[in-house]
Amino acid sequence: MEKEFLETVHEHQKIIHKVCRLYRDTKEDQEDLLQEIVYQLWKSFPSFKGESKISSWIYRIALNTAMAVYRKRKLMVRNYETVPEPNHLTGENTISENEERLFWALRKLNDAERSVIALFLEEYSYPEIAAITGLSESNVGVRLNRIKTKLKIILNQ
Amino acid sequence: MELNDLKSNWQNAGGASKSESDLQKMTKIAGSSAMQRLRKKLVIESIALLMFSLVYYDWFDGDKKPVYANVLLLSGVLLYILNDVIGYIAISNPISGLNLKLSIQNYLQRVRHLFMFSLIISVLYGISLLVFFSSVIHFTKEKGLLLAGLIATLSLMYFLSFRIWNSWLANLRRQAKDFESE
Repeated sequence: MEKEFLETVHEHQKIIHKVCRLYRDTKEDQEDLLQEIVYQLWKSFPSFKGESKISSWIYRIALNTAMAVYRKRKLMVRNYETVPEPNHLTGENTISENEERLFWALRKLNDAERSVIALFLEEYSYPEIAAITGLSESNVGVRLNRIKTKLKIILNQ
Repeated sequence: MELNDLKSNWQNAGGASKSESDLQKMTKIAGSSAMQRLRKKLVIESIALLMFSLVYYDWFDGDKKPVYANVLLLSGVLLYILNDVIGYIAISNPISGLNLKLSIQNYLQRVRHLFMFSLIISVLYGISLLVFFSSVIHFTKEKGLLLAGLIATLSLMYFLSFRIWNSWLANLRRQAKDFESE
């Protein structure tokens, strides 16, 4: 089972990296969250029965962990008025300015909004987003419209 | 940036890569650094309290104290350890629902109960210590001041602990509210 788990997570790890950057500001916090998500995925893996796509399951566990997991409160709240310097998990790829700007804008949304827009940007359908988040399909639509407007304002600042 | 740009930027992101052996290591280490610190605190506290319960009788004249004070102290210590263990298990399992909304609501409920339980146990533990150490004392002014100092220290610890719990609960409440339909 361990081999199957490692292959699955390795193949889908982009999801985890994206969720880490979506919910944590600093590289250190992102690495820490990555560790926690992989651990939670490993613990939940035996209960995955294949009723949903594996990527949906990974998204659900990763988003849930990012939101709920216990963490020390930061003394200083970082609320960037301008786009911060590139700040990401270690890797060989260079992160484009647009990508950094996207995450900067997404981190200005609340936790629930971030989960909805992440799934939308990943091309999940409304019923799929509703199943993962627990919102109704109509509420997903309403929220997405609002989030898109918010993002437009943030990105045009 | 247009919507399609946002989508393509999102889908191309997350390029950093961990090897399978790195991922395997992550399955062996229980959770984030905050969780690891919590676990370390739990282990150290439990060992220290167990050691204390083994030596207190000789070191602090347990034979000269009333039986009720001994029973109260041991119960307080055991409850405190139990509270630590239950707390750690509850906190380290944040996923408990078929979707994000349910899971956050369940977790909030669990942390809320844990907070109340922890507060009650901590107060009982503090009372058991105070009762044990003051049970056969003939109070003088100095000893009274010492007791007042101990009570003040315990109260400060409760206050600091309350603030940490409260800030975490506030965060979870906010998240649960974010998922409520408008």
